[in-house]
Amino acid sequence: MSNATAAAVTVKPRPFAGLQRLAGWAPLAVLVLLCILIAVINPNFLSFGNVVRISQSAMVPMVLGIGATLIILMGSVDLSVEGVLTLAAVLLSMLVLNGANANELGLFAVVIVLAVGAGVGCINGMINVYLKVPSFMATLGTWFIGVGVGNALLGGMAIRINDPLIRGLAIDRFLGFPWGVWVAVLCVIIALAIQNYTRLGRHIYALGGGEELAALSGISVAKVRIAAFTLAGVFYAVGGILASAQLGLGNAQIGSGRLFTTITAVVVGGTSLSGGRGGILQTVVGVLIVVVLTNGMVLVGVEPSVQIGVQGVMIITAVALSINRKLMKIVK
Amino acid sequence: MATPFTGPNADRTRRWLPLATLVILMVVVGVMQPTFLYPATLLQLASDTAVLFILAAGVTFVIMLGGIDLSLQSMASLASVVVALTVAQLGYGSFVLAIGIGAVAGLLSGLAHVKLKVPSFITTLAISGVLFSTALVISGERSITLGEADRNYQAWITGSFFGIPGVIIIGFVVFVLASVLQSRTPFGRYIAAIGAGEPAAYASGVRVSRYKVYAFILSSTLAALAGVVLAGRLASGSPTLAAEMLLPSIAAVVVGGTAITGGVGSIWQTLVGSLIISVVRIGMTFLGVNIFAQNIVFGTVLIVAVAITIDRSKIPIVK
Amino acid sequence: MTIAAAPYALSLVNVNKRFPGVHALKDVTIHIRPGEVVGLVGENGAGKSTVMKILSGVYQPDSGEIEIGGKAVSLASAYDANTKGIGMVFQEQSLLLNLTVGENIYLGNEAQFTRFGIVNWRDLYAAAKRQLAKVHVDIDPRSLAEDLDFATRQMVELAKALTLEDQVGGGHLVILLDEPTSVLERAEIDILFARVRALKARASFVFVSHRLDEVLELSDRIYVMKDGAVVADLPAAEANIPALHQLMVGRSLQAEYYREPLQRPYRDEVVLEAKGLSLAGGFTGVDFMLHRGEILGIAGVVGSGREELTRTLAGFAPHDGGQLIVGGREVHITDPAVAVDLGLAYVPRERRLEGLVLFLSVAANVTLADLQRLTSYGLIKVAEEKRLVKTWIERLNIKTPSVNTLCLNLSGGNQQKVVLAKWLNTKAQILILDHPTRGLDVGAKEEVYEIVRAITAEGIAIIVTSDTLEETIGLSHTVLVMRDGEVRFSTDAQPGHKPRQVDLIQHMV
Repeated sequence: MSNATAAAVTVKPRPFAGLQRLAGWAPLAVLVLLCILIAVINPNFLSFGNVVRISQSAMVPMVLGIGATLIILMGSVDLSVEGVLTLAAVLLSMLVLNGANANELGLFAVVIVLAVGAGVGCINGMINVYLKVPSFMATLGTWFIGVGVGNALLGGMAIRINDPLIRGLAIDRFLGFPWGVWVAVLCVIIALAIQNYTRLGRHIYALGGGEELAALSGISVAKVRIAAFTLAGVFYAVGGILASAQLGLGNAQIGSGRLFTTITAVVVGGTSLSGGRGGILQTVVGVLIVVVLTNGMVLVGVEPSVQIGVQGVMIITAVALSINRKLMKIVK
Repeated sequence: MATPFTGPNADRTRRWLPLATLVILMVVVGVMQPTFLYPATLLQLASDTAVLFILAAGVTFVIMLGGIDLSLQSMASLASVVVALTVAQLGYGSFVLAIGIGAVAGLLSGLAHVKLKVPSFITTLAISGVLFSTALVISGERSITLGEADRNYQAWITGSFFGIPGVIIIGFVVFVLASVLQSRTPFGRYIAAIGAGEPAAYASGVRVSRYKVYAFILSSTLAALAGVVLAGRLASGSPTLAAEMLLPSIAAVVVGGTAITGGVGSIWQTLVGSLIISVVRIGMTFLGVNIFAQNIVFGTVLIVAVAITIDRSKIPIVK
Repeated sequence: MTIAAAPYALSLVNVNKRFPGVHALKDVTIHIRPGEVVGLVGENGAGKSTVMKILSGVYQPDSGEIEIGGKAVSLASAYDANTKGIGMVFQEQSLLLNLTVGENIYLGNEAQFTRFGIVNWRDLYAAAKRQLAKVHVDIDPRSLAEDLDFATRQMVELAKALTLEDQVGGGHLVILLDEPTSVLERAEIDILFARVRALKARASFVFVSHRLDEVLELSDRIYVMKDGAVVADLPAAEANIPALHQLMVGRSLQAEYYREPLQRPYRDEVVLEAKGLSLAGGFTGVDFMLHRGEILGIAGVVGSGREELTRTLAGFAPHDGGQLIVGGREVHITDPAVAVDLGLAYVPRERRLEGLVLFLSVAANVTLADLQRLTSYGLIKVAEEKRLVKTWIERLNIKTPSVNTLCLNLSGGNQQKVVLAKWLNTKAQILILDHPTRGLDVGAKEEVYEIVRAITAEGIAIIVTSDTLEETIGLSHTVLVMRDGEVRFSTDAQPGHKPRQVDLIQHMV
């Protein structure tokens, strides 16, 4: 290649490209500022004990957020978080050593639960792709179906989990952190690998960036969508396992309010609702923002009931700040 | 391939399918339990449907726009709390206050949606959080039972006129007003036009943003009214009073045949949809299905109904 | 590959394509030889884009053959066309802006770099770098597509198209260039053309552009299309702009076709005036006056600013400089609703998107813009609405089974008449016709012209932009020619004084 011709075509940066890059760091800056602020008000915030507490409250939202990120990256939305999580938790509590029946499947129960999560996710994807039902409606349906099945299985009961392996996720520690936290970290690593090193990861971004163009390039949109929903289902099931381990039981109310936190975390982290921008790392930051804020409010003495409202305001603010309104002509 | 849902008569099929479903369901339940068809039972059915219908009627307009309102159960619950807390001091004014809060919440949802261009499922999910939080805080996270004296103010809900329960009359008034609004006013026409073809409506000089906000106000206001009625019927207010009503309300609209692709739909269809949901619920209760587990059926019904009513030619890319 | 064995890299042979109401391609035969740049020119609606869509597998022909290397093939999809060695470079929209250059180049073809499900990004980016070298672009393949300027994006697309070489096993490629220059500066165009020439050894090109000078510059051979048929096939060396234009336009102006005998002189009263009207990025310093009963045609090529000017008048992009005076008052049209209130009506180019709510009835569409006037006590007077719509159906001869028929089910011409009825019903005094006959067949066009003549005779003023210069001249009283956002020329075009097309073209390009 001759240098003369190469010089003829150079990269002219777009105006404001730098500004947008800067905006990409805003969530991280918010997280850091938040930490500093809370630490100043209450130095206990930085104690090891509190950091462990934060990691414990972050582990379930983290895996849920990962799953939802995969879907939101495609420009879709997944409201079935609570449904899958509830179903997973209830099934797990019934299949491992428990206080209500004689089952004792141990690890095999975990496999079954993950498979069920994958199955529900796959159904979401198929309803979306083959019946062409928009994802917010399809997953609204499966949300309630999942919770409904949980209820049908348990009624209003709760089943205590006695399986030492599952209980150990919340109780036994490694390097001071419960094993459940490490499971969540492992999920983050796996999701990052999928996002960055597989074709599926790339194609999820491609769908979010422009589905028609992606299809023109020979990408099977249907396969990518179904695969992403299935994966998301698996992550929600992991969330169900961790949540039931944390509570030490399974019941049909275990998912209550978790969709809200999940969507807040993903959106606050900076993943765009129109798809194609953002990712797992952003969600990690988003989850930490939400969890640290909640933790901080507890430390500062704000009532827990106010926190949902605060999250609501955060969602709108974050979305409003991140949406590129020029690109969106019609918003439904 | 021309199936009844894709062929030339698809529209007619879609329009009459809900009514046919309702009739068949009533016959089935009537055969299972002959008392179901007695006038007293039917009146009870209508009373039980009223609150669901009021919620569904409001959200019909939002769904016709192609949007959704995920805040209506929180709004209804908040309204019940507001009534329970203030009826002793304000009397009938408490109803006005609760419904006024509904209008303001809808205004906020609508403004966030059109001004900030945030998708409606997000704005209403967020507003729902704010409303729920407010209800928790002002109620002290508990259920508030109406005092004996306060119940006098609920007579218009709990009482009956010429043998017809008050709730049915309220539901009927909402039906008439909403129907007129939907089928006979520019507002209704604009909502249909925006839902089916927003660019054309905008180019024709329709003030699209304004009418979208109106739709969200209407949805939230009627949700508040539903909460007021519910508080009267249950003689209490609680932050989770209407928590289980979101899905049935949206399902009622969609099952009635209002398409989420916009343009198609009407209030009487939503009435049919609400009755279907009620009859299904009664049928399930008769079969001994747990009230929470009924969500399995409603969730499935929702997806199937959307799949049938949706007009795929309007959405080249389904997200 | 010897020339004798396979004389043509890609051919269309006697291809026909019909859309509802339109015979879009009529027995089109086009041959592309290996290593040749074939130019394709024609007015809007002549069939160029349909040809491109058939060549790229987006449309399938109703009859006729597509041949690659002399063998008949079918192209089921764009992807199918790719695998058969046909690549595409569009204006600027076919890169995914949220992905990197390397990811874009190999989008959908990552399999070659994937082992055990893991993409080897280092290999992929190294390969992408080699592709970029083919077009002499030295950028980091890891940079995001959205950070590139348009010219570089174009080069990346070219590099992407060249990856097809590997897929067809080193066979010959055909690359379709669809308006690739429309967003480029002259210097960038020179670079693009130099690359295309340098690549002629590995690929053939089909080049579509509105700019005849560019087509002449780059092409070896030129096909001229008109009304869905190929009307000429000539070596570029033998062609010149006036000759090409004459071929594109074909017939000389037919006064009768545009109902010229019905054209009445306009009145003195000024209904709309622009003084130094400007819109950043659109047009600057536009002056004109529009009188009652006048038809003002605006001519200009793509990018001349005339599209932006019509959108501004219709309220989609409020002006940011100069004055706009409607009915003697200075106005700022911030919204289409404001335009409607001022009596300005916009008949959009995208009829099915912006003109009509296709899924509503004829009646609902006709009254959509003026519903408030049809109400009493807030309620729509349904019976009166029906009666009113029926009179419009009669007056404009709209062919519809009933007032309740969905507009979706009407033909293009009748849909356009519904749009016109909607605006005439508002008693709008100024009509902005944005390509009013696009996609209509000849009969429907004539009906539109007839309506235009009738309403101007009643005093309605019209601003028209059109696909063809012929239509602009034929309809108008006055013609403005725009270029690079400015009005460059203005001429009287009343019957008897109609300018010739060549007189206007010299101001357009």
